[in-house]
Amino acid sequence: MNPWLLGTIALVGLGLPVAVWIGARGSATDRLVGLELGAVDATLALLAFSQAVEQPSYLIVPAVAVVLAFAGTLVYTRLLAHPS
Amino acid sequence: MSLVHAVAVTCFGAGVAVVVLTGLGALRVRRVEDRLHYLTPATSLGAPLVGLGLVIANGWGLTSAQIALICVLMVVTGPALTSAVLRVASQRAGTVSPEAPE
Repeated sequence: MNPWLLGTIALVGLGLPVAVWIGARGSATDRLVGLELGAVDATLALLAFSQAVEQPSYLIVPAVAVVLAFAGTLVYTRLLAHPS
Repeated sequence: MSLVHAVAVTCFGAGVAVVVLTGLGALRVRRVEDRLHYLTPATSLGAPLVGLGLVIANGWGLTSAQIALICVLMVVTGPALTSAVLRVASQRAGTVSPEAPE
């Protein structure tokens, strides 16, 4: 058990459930905040996991995730901008 | 444990703590605006600290460059996303006109 793996466990075990909880309750914009928080938690957890298992090739996953999370959240803001 | 490793682990641990605590803080408040206030340090402070710790641990190289790129992307896109979400929340609350410039 190295410190990077401990950080991964903290992010996945504490950070992500909180983000899922926020993202599953409340209004649409509340849930959007949960989505944004979850994207940050997941990306950092993937970074830490890559370091924990000493596999730098795994870094492509958070690199793609951060770009897709940005674009995906912007799409949701566009869809939610005009409530019907 | 060398001094460099200790500094790296400290930065990494501080970043993880910031991200987890801001999430718990966001859970405690109810308004969207307050939750976004809690979310901001996760991208502006937590992500750079995590990245700094990993870069120090890896030393100079392509791995560190990729980690730095990911963290820079998070720092740059975080405030833009926060602004966009707040704008949507304001539009839906009626405090900002839907025709307001983007």
